[in-house]
Amino acid sequence: MKTNPEKAGAGVIGLSFRLNGKPVQLTVPPVIRAVDLIRNELGQTGTKISCGIGRCGACSVLINGKLSVSCLTLAYQLEGASVETVEGLSDQNGVHPIQEAFLEEGGFQCGYCTPGMVMAAKCLLESNPKPSEAAIQEAFSGNLCRCTGYGGIIRSVQRACSS
Amino acid sequence: MKKKIRPDGKEKVTGRLKYLTDLTFPEMLWAKVLRSAYPHARILSLSTEKARQLPGVQAVITHEDVPALNGFGIVTPDQPVLCKDTVRYVGDAVAAVAAESVEIAARALELIEVHYEPLPVVDSPEKALAKSAPLLHPGGNILHRAGFQRGDIQTAFSRCVNVVEETYEVPRQLHAYMETEGGVIVPEKDGTLTVYVGTQHGFKDRFQLSRILGMPEEEIRIISSPMGGSFGGKDELNIQPYGALLALATGRPVKIHQTRQESMRSSIKRHPMSITMKTGVDQNGRLLAHQTTITADTGAYATLGPAILDFAVEHACGPYMIEAVDTKGVSVFTNNGVSGEFRGFGGNQITFALEGQMDRLAAAIGIDALELRRLNIRREQDPGPLGQRIVQTNGALEVLESAAQVYRDKKQQMPKASEWKRTGIGMAVTMHGGGLGFGRMDPAGGRLSLKENGKVEIAFGFEEAGQGILAVIEAVATEELGCRKEDLSIVIGDTALVPSSGSTTASRGTSMVWHSLQRLKGSFIKQVLARAVQKTGAEESVLSIGPGGVWKNGKCALSFESLAAGEEPIVVSTQFDFPVSPDAIDSAHYLYTYSGVVAQTEVDLLTGRIKVTGLHQSTAAGPVVNEMGYRGQIEGGGVMALGYTLMEDVVMTEGQYATENFDSYLVPGIQDVPFDLELEAIETLPPGDHYGPRGVGEIGTVAVAPAIANAIYDAIGFRVSRLPVKPEAVLQSMERGVLYENQS
Repeated sequence: MKTNPEKAGAGVIGLSFRLNGKPVQLTVPPVIRAVDLIRNELGQTGTKISCGIGRCGACSVLINGKLSVSCLTLAYQLEGASVETVEGLSDQNGVHPIQEAFLEEGGFQCGYCTPGMVMAAKCLLESNPKPSEAAIQEAFSGNLCRCTGYGGIIRSVQRACSS
Repeated sequence: MKKKIRPDGKEKVTGRLKYLTDLTFPEMLWAKVLRSAYPHARILSLSTEKARQLPGVQAVITHEDVPALNGFGIVTPDQPVLCKDTVRYVGDAVAAVAAESVEIAARALELIEVHYEPLPVVDSPEKALAKSAPLLHPGGNILHRAGFQRGDIQTAFSRCVNVVEETYEVPRQLHAYMETEGGVIVPEKDGTLTVYVGTQHGFKDRFQLSRILGMPEEEIRIISSPMGGSFGGKDELNIQPYGALLALATGRPVKIHQTRQESMRSSIKRHPMSITMKTGVDQNGRLLAHQTTITADTGAYATLGPAILDFAVEHACGPYMIEAVDTKGVSVFTNNGVSGEFRGFGGNQITFALEGQMDRLAAAIGIDALELRRLNIRREQDPGPLGQRIVQTNGALEVLESAAQVYRDKKQQMPKASEWKRTGIGMAVTMHGGGLGFGRMDPAGGRLSLKENGKVEIAFGFEEAGQGILAVIEAVATEELGCRKEDLSIVIGDTALVPSSGSTTASRGTSMVWHSLQRLKGSFIKQVLARAVQKTGAEESVLSIGPGGVWKNGKCALSFESLAAGEEPIVVSTQFDFPVSPDAIDSAHYLYTYSGVVAQTEVDLLTGRIKVTGLHQSTAAGPVVNEMGYRGQIEGGGVMALGYTLMEDVVMTEGQYATENFDSYLVPGIQDVPFDLELEAIETLPPGDHYGPRGVGEIGTVAVAPAIANAIYDAIGFRVSRLPVKPEAVLQSMERGVLYENQS
């Protein structure tokens, strides 16, 4: 949905932040959800929406390096921030080693939770390159997957940190 | 073996894949559906005037705007698209709005004025079956009865030395696909309609929409793939009719993407059932008599309720040979949420009960539960559960023996109980029919072409919901034809481009892809080689299809591009039916898969919390087509069933949902699962078997609950009869004194 300027009394603000390293400037109501801003205003649909209440992690992005649910983040909170979404991990030249590990180990099926899982993995491995099982459990405790039973995701993370 | 990366993998891990709910179109509107405020009520009046006046609203529709049949349902269209005078559950649609933004659409819903006269709420099968119950449908409150009898049950019971009887209660389970229902419906310039909405059977959606809209099927195109999960839940229509009606009303593309709460309210769920089983054995441990009554809460509308009950009835004695069987089932309308298709299809409920009986009986007669199963399990030549001839394999015994070995090994290595924790191990086995069963239209088919551009196109009317059908098609096609994956173009999920293959359900996709290739490859290879003979002058006997084209003397002699250039495409099609038993027994299955599950649990005596610490599944389903896909189905199915066993329950109170999202409806997270899920694929088939790989989409979910339940008994002596097993139930069981005092 493009932002509706007649939205009941919301007004708009100028907002600037970095998305996957590139500066973004736009005018939006300050209280739209970051996930809607990313998906609808900026057309970056890799970030998904599933529960809308911060319980499933499908909308996970990194905000200033911290794993965050973008469904509970409001647009104004992005001001000046550095936001990283799944689109930032790969380019024409290839995929990120974490994504490669997900491919090799079957860390996804329907793929709808996968962008969030990949971001959670990146957040974990950047701070803890050799995570224990407990650390993996903790790192993914906010991300639900209904397809894999987590086996493939665990193997993906273990492969990513061994490679 | 190098693991094969899925054809859709790269797009998924990079986030580049466009799901149908990610699509946008120019001039697109957003829509929302107004659902009933009451689980049962008469609609006294309905006014949309104020909503229509809200700036930004482009259309509001009610029952008056449905041009043809105001009803849907895969078998019986008894669910109103938009209710006129009566609502039967809180997911019933009353009106729908298309507006310039989703916020305006939401505001407009609040402005629609509906006056209801609440009616008595029938919120359980017991109430629905009472003489005084209000009738929810013109035919009454019974959707379907099913049964099966063999032998003289009373005489058989009289010969039993031991009989156990138990009533098992199983909950309403949410599919919880991560992508909720949605997509975009686009009115095309030529008056046709393109529906970009996930489903498990595009042609069926086309048929259903055709009779709602009064449009010819050919004018409706369904693009139904990819999906962010389905598990049976998106087979029935969901938001398609509203999007279609609004798109036609406004002449603009209309997007609907349900919120999780909207999805919970309107989606189908797994049938809650109450199952009473009475089972008896003779002094040698032979099962003599097995009596089952099933009561299923099917909710407000039919959808696939009858078939699911039939399936449960068929599988009531599972893989065991029992002299006398008496099974009766009834599926009952209530004002609860609609129950329908869900991975396992009634098998999960009945298997939980049956395998609970086996452990209870073994304990009652003092023999090992494994031995009791071995004594009674079907052998290769035995008829199927309804007495029908089935495809002969020794799968039942093979999974039992595999699970038995695992059980023995794990039992020896069981971690010792600590002061406040007890550990246990349990097992269960099952068999599960694939395909829709005897007497049901179950067509399949596919098409193989050498296109003008040199691509080997393989097309099926299947959908990719995450299960990995694309990887299956790629694996089977490259193996059967001898070409490379790069040579292929796989086409699925678009009624404009694909042949009818039947539904992407009932563990039939893998099987039907393999069967199709067996039928297609001979003629295709022959035609390709004939053209190669024409172009090269070589003898056909020295040519074969290989990577990149036609090969001769160990190298590629002619690429597919050269073969195709300037020529008509080579097209080979096939249409056939899913194989069924030669015995005309309604709904009986023919191809079965088998599963043996060993579960280990740890029970916390202070909190009552149960942790599954190990889950091993042995599966007999013929050859593995794609190792990663197979493992994913078994592991993922197992964890979905773990949730069913320990945590998942869509709670309804007087017809209203008490659980509306993932804060109160809990599905397993990474902390709830064993880190090392294990499986063994038993691939052997008898010599001469020509049915190939069987599907494994469901089998991994079927026998997990009873294995965990039996492991809980092993840990603390608590016989589980109700799912999910909540910590409260564990603590209460200990207050009743069931705990073993001296567990070794």
